[in-house]
Amino acid sequence: MPACTMALVEFAYLDWCWVAIFILVMITCGVIFYRLGKRSESEFFLAGRDLPWWLPATSIYATHTATDTPMWITGVIYKYGMRGVWFPFFCAWCAVSSFVSARIFRRSLAMSQAEWQNLRYSGLGSELLRGWLAGWQTFMNMFVLAWVSAAMGKVGTYLFAWPHWVGLVAFTAICAIYVLSAGYWGVIMADFQQGLIAFLVITIVCCWGIYEAGGPTAIVQKLQALGEGWRLNPFHFDKEFPFAWFITLFIMATVGGIGMGNFIDWYPEAQRIQSARTVRDASYSIYAGGLATLFRNGFWVVAILAFYVMFPNITSQTEYEMGWYRLAFEYMPMGMIGVFFAAILAIHLSTISTHLNLGALYATRDLYHHYVNPNASQRRLVQVGRINTILLLIGCFVLGLTMKQITEWLIFALWLQAAGIWIPSILQVVWWRFNSWAYLSAWVANLVMSWLVVWVLPALGLIPKLPEYQQFWLLAVLVAVVYLPITFLTKPDDMDHLVRYYVMARPWGFWGPVRREAIGRGLIEPNADRSQ
Amino acid sequence: MSLFRKQWTPREADEWTVHDFVASVLAMASYVLVAVGVAGALLLRLWGFVALGAGIICIILMYLVIDPKLKAMSEAFAKRQRQYLDDIDKTTRWER
Repeated sequence: MPACTMALVEFAYLDWCWVAIFILVMITCGVIFYRLGKRSESEFFLAGRDLPWWLPATSIYATHTATDTPMWITGVIYKYGMRGVWFPFFCAWCAVSSFVSARIFRRSLAMSQAEWQNLRYSGLGSELLRGWLAGWQTFMNMFVLAWVSAAMGKVGTYLFAWPHWVGLVAFTAICAIYVLSAGYWGVIMADFQQGLIAFLVITIVCCWGIYEAGGPTAIVQKLQALGEGWRLNPFHFDKEFPFAWFITLFIMATVGGIGMGNFIDWYPEAQRIQSARTVRDASYSIYAGGLATLFRNGFWVVAILAFYVMFPNITSQTEYEMGWYRLAFEYMPMGMIGVFFAAILAIHLSTISTHLNLGALYATRDLYHHYVNPNASQRRLVQVGRINTILLLIGCFVLGLTMKQITEWLIFALWLQAAGIWIPSILQVVWWRFNSWAYLSAWVANLVMSWLVVWVLPALGLIPKLPEYQQFWLLAVLVAVVYLPITFLTKPDDMDHLVRYYVMARPWGFWGPVRREAIGRGLIEPNADRSQ
Repeated sequence: MSLFRKQWTPREADEWTVHDFVASVLAMASYVLVAVGVAGALLLRLWGFVALGAGIICIILMYLVIDPKLKAMSEAFAKRQRQYLDDIDKTTRWER
């Protein structure tokens, strides 16, 4: 978004009223749930593992909707037409995850993915993994906070000609009030109202955009008249969007649901899975959250096609990415713009609150509680949780105000996490023999190889600049060359530890030796075997 | 084994069965159909309504296949959860 000195929109008194009411309601949420949040570490970070499925589900939906999501989806739909719906389809990992990894993770009772490493693996490797993941996640959450806050700073500049820091600091600081007060209770309750508001307003704006373009039939007719009828086909493949891209996205979404940690979204979703009351609630929450996200995407697709027929000749990506925002700010009636801005705030604050609490969870549970003070009282742990929330907040402001080209860095950081460790993240769930050293080596190899494949080797002219889906498969193969030999050259994890994990989490896959050992020890009844 | 089985013992529900596989396939199918179906239906395309309808049928079938099993498993696990939570603190303790 270009910085401008003139405000794009003029708010009426009614618009500011909507915004003020919305902010007031959210902060009240924090005050109301303050007493629940302070009871223990489990309450502050998991709401006592007692939430019905629809609360984490709305939170999952809200988390899958950030300030930049409309820009990104507008970009791919404007460029690729309806087939662009497959780009954000990676969130469909929630489908398989609902009945595989979510169930296993909920049964493991790990408070975080880092703690799960400790339950799944044993020995020094397990501790190294927990420490690494905790540190990485604390930093990544701060990084995401900085990135999303900076995006809000740009929105403030774009809409109201505010200085960049105002939008960056003000709304994130407001959000911190209820996260500090009530921890995850505040996050989940605010997410519930934010999710509903965002869903409702996104639907209204999309319908408004479709109406402004002349309605559904007119959109179809105009696309055909422009010779762009292919934009209505979600399965239109060509050189620009090859079938290989589609298959890569589809496989990632389908098989990825078996693993844990394959996607950056897994980490907040793992917190929601663990906060659900039962295994059943955990499964339904993640399924419903993903479904609501895809349902919303359907509305966005048609609204962006409407924008396309109204403005078909925009070539600048920066300009057409703002298409959905333009539909709202240029066509919504006075008085409704405030509601729309409140929805943008809802989207923004749900992301901020999630990452503030999640980063503090890793810093508190996995670093402070596990390594620094294992005997800390619950009161002390909640205090440390709040201190870590403040530290993340300060870190996010410093990063957000100093980083310039953050989008490129963030995409690279996400890619780092996704490509090379994608298969190992599945193997650690389904294969008993895959050990901590293998997973650790996959992380290290991925860090090195992704730099080489994405930047260094193309810059040196040794390999061409590859499309992202080819980078993905190349990294998957290169990293496997490292972790597979290490798996077989190092000892399996301790059998006592594996049996304990198996009996509790009941993982799916190749766990035969561990299962037989558990049966031999009388921990699983042998006749249960017959039902398989 | 019936796909729409209503009675599960906790021990049976703990095991991985074809019901989990079918539920996962139906879940993914419902996602694909809803993703394209909503957009198609909003554009008043016939295939959009068909896809959306098929997506809703997949959701209902998924629920019928997996819910009894999830209920049985959840109730049994909830009874053991307190004991497991106590064990976790011992298992993962850094000062051992």
